[in-house]
Amino acid sequence: MIALLIANSLALASLLIMLSSGLALIYGLRDVINFGHGALYMLGAYLGYSIALIGGFWVALVASPILLALLGVAFEYLVLRPLRGRSHIEVALVTLGLGIILGQALIFVYGGEARGVDAPRALAGSVQVFGLSYPLYRIFLIGMGLGSCGLLALWLRFSTSGLYVRAVSQDPSVARMMGVNSDRLSLLVTSLSAAFAGVAGVLAGPYLSVDPGMDVTMIVNCLIIVVIGGTGSIAGAIVAALLFGFVQVAGSVLLPDLAAIAPYVLLMAVLLIAPRGIGRGRVLS
Amino acid sequence: MLEIAKLSVSYGRVRALDAVDLTIRGEGVVHGVIGPNGAGKSTLLDAVTGRRSPTSGAVRYRGEDITRKSVAWRRRRGMARSFQRTSIFQDLTVREQLSLVARHLGDERAGDVIEVMNLGEYLDEKAGRIAYGVQRRVDVALALIGRPQMLLLDEPGAGLSAEETLNLFLHLRALVRERGIAAVVVEHDVDAVFACCDVVTVLDLGRHLATGAPAEIRADPRVISAYLGSAA
Amino acid sequence: MGARGGLLTASRAVTGRRPLVVILAVLLFALGALAPAHLVSEFVLRLGVEGLLLGMLALSVAFLMRQAGLVALGAASIYGGVGYLFAITMSEWDLSPTAALFAAFVIVIVYAAVLGALIVRTNPLAFMMLTLAAGEMVSHGVMLEGLRDYTSGADGLVVNFQGAIFGLQAADFASAPRFWPIAWSAAWVLGLAVYATGRSRFGAILRAVRENEERMRFSGFGTYLPRLIAFVFVNGVAAVAGLLHVLNSQFVSPESLGLSVSTNALVASLIGGAAGSIGPIAGGLFFAFAQDEFGAHGFTQLLTGVAIVVFIVLFPRGIVGGLIEAARRRTYLAPRRGEAP
Repeated sequence: MIALLIANSLALASLLIMLSSGLALIYGLRDVINFGHGALYMLGAYLGYSIALIGGFWVALVASPILLALLGVAFEYLVLRPLRGRSHIEVALVTLGLGIILGQALIFVYGGEARGVDAPRALAGSVQVFGLSYPLYRIFLIGMGLGSCGLLALWLRFSTSGLYVRAVSQDPSVARMMGVNSDRLSLLVTSLSAAFAGVAGVLAGPYLSVDPGMDVTMIVNCLIIVVIGGTGSIAGAIVAALLFGFVQVAGSVLLPDLAAIAPYVLLMAVLLIAPRGIGRGRVLS
Repeated sequence: MLEIAKLSVSYGRVRALDAVDLTIRGEGVVHGVIGPNGAGKSTLLDAVTGRRSPTSGAVRYRGEDITRKSVAWRRRRGMARSFQRTSIFQDLTVREQLSLVARHLGDERAGDVIEVMNLGEYLDEKAGRIAYGVQRRVDVALALIGRPQMLLLDEPGAGLSAEETLNLFLHLRALVRERGIAAVVVEHDVDAVFACCDVVTVLDLGRHLATGAPAEIRADPRVISAYLGSAA
Repeated sequence: MGARGGLLTASRAVTGRRPLVVILAVLLFALGALAPAHLVSEFVLRLGVEGLLLGMLALSVAFLMRQAGLVALGAASIYGGVGYLFAITMSEWDLSPTAALFAAFVIVIVYAAVLGALIVRTNPLAFMMLTLAAGEMVSHGVMLEGLRDYTSGADGLVVNFQGAIFGLQAADFASAPRFWPIAWSAAWVLGLAVYATGRSRFGAILRAVRENEERMRFSGFGTYLPRLIAFVFVNGVAAVAGLLHVLNSQFVSPESLGLSVSTNALVASLIGGAAGSIGPIAGGLFFAFAQDEFGAHGFTQLLTGVAIVVFIVLFPRGIVGGLIEAARRRTYLAPRRGEAP
């Protein structure tokens, strides 16, 4: 029973980690919150749905993030760069507006009902784990989540660009003096973040559903996680996502009538105890 | 008036201040603090004014331990600070920002400050529209309101010419003498410091190196090798 | 120049135009309250009421943005939430409608104080995120299965009230021609209250904290309390608007407190320009009539998104604010002090 709880929490957390780390990266790097991140996720999901209809799940899993990465590039050049001089609040509001536009466009194209997406044949069905029967797809999801975590950590820790990202997040002015091209870095981070949203969107299809309103739900979840995790701290976001996943899942099992507000209670509790969030400082602390 | 006891401030693994002991006497003394870059001068001011919490050590102000007190609390008790990077209110006029602070600190004679800092003709200008040198004077003026007992000035001469800096220092010294307050001035312009300060402290790499009268410090071999070089 | 005596008593020539402005304002107020019922159709009046109510909500968003630099994305949760509380306190606590009004208001103020205490401490970006989260929390809250008995979940609550509130019956509040003067007066009162607060010393402190919080602390000011007070204040304004709304519509649903209402209020305040009180209210009216033009909800939301982007990028001062600024600039153009004109 506990094992089931933990497994389900991990599955949810995997999705959340993929989304929140993208948000936290941009936040740590540019002090910008992309309020349209949920809409990107929704786009990834709907695109995945459409592509899967033609080419199957796996094609969608590859194609959707690529397309979204391109959108991320466009976002960087058409939105973030031109608005560089403006206050962070103004940029955040612009991303909010763009997110609304994207969300509404998707509803317009696809209509207002939820779409079901089937898990690919290879991942349908259940597996016996620790004496329990558990959906294979969710194990795959957990694997993807852990994998992306691991890749992210490796990248930040051991690659040059990862080092630069950490440096710029710590102190943008010093890093720039040392010749770190924070523009190129920003482009990388933005497109990565969008790609991650694409992956998460496709993965979410068989697991949650593809419906209008998923953008708002997800952006709020991510925002809560980023705040709990602490400003732009990836490690904090990961811990926060795990916590969030657990609270959400445990809440729906133990107190189903009040489960919907469990994450908010968690948020308020964290704000009360640790106003700066869990993580210390910026990226990967 | 101000006692700094074994004060240490660390940022992660970097020790910006390392067990610094310092005593600032009051009553009309101008105490200069010099040292190479990274010596911890600004950090010292940050720790004393409450902007940074020290990792260890204590700050005592007029006998009271203020190590945990807030920035605003210290200001209301008469410990005022100016900033290396001018920190004023660009959208307010000079008059508006000075009077805002003056009313809060209950200082009706803020007119003194305007005269001392020579801001009379700029009173109704928006601070963002005046020349940089004047902005720096506003920065110092904001610190002077409320008749503080202790002034902590962070590179008041930054961005000013050598002559303007010297002028500023002379003004400050006169003010300090006249009001019988204490001033701690962190500064790069060593000449101005030696010309106008009564006591000089040298910091190096976060540690206290030497304290004494300007002439002593100037001649101190440790100071010369660490900072001044033979040209001093 | 009398610098010594002149600091705290900045001279400001009292214009002889003051009494004239006041007379004009009173005339405008009276006209606006009484004339429309005779001049336009009931449908237009209803739109007008909607616009005024949205405008009052926008007033609360605009004040916080302009004075404190904080964007509250959860304003609708107060606006709609107070309506729910009005209904629930009447049915659960058997309060008279008038008492329920006050009870709902007080509960909301307490909520705002508690929420504010938690979130005002954060940086403006985090504040924005947290108000969004808090707004969604309330949205989810009214939909909770566990609270269905009180809130009727997604169906919404029809709010009936018997008895008179300040001498008026429910039917009076529901009728657009009779409600218009009430809404109009409320808009004026709230508008003036917000304006006066902005011009007070409190407003000056808020703006100074917004501009340079650190220097304010170094000048002896606490910077937490002013923002908390401002937050509670604007939520009070939103609550008044919300109570008027529920008295008029006599219905609340999760849509009343949803994100789209919050973003509508945001757009209304951006249209009007966050400065002053006339802007947001004009923005609300503009929005209500525009929304009627554009029909479908989805399309309106799309346009809301577009409006947000357009107004931030191209017209940061809004339409009304931009016009005022343009008028001002025509009469006073000053080169930077010390530079050649």
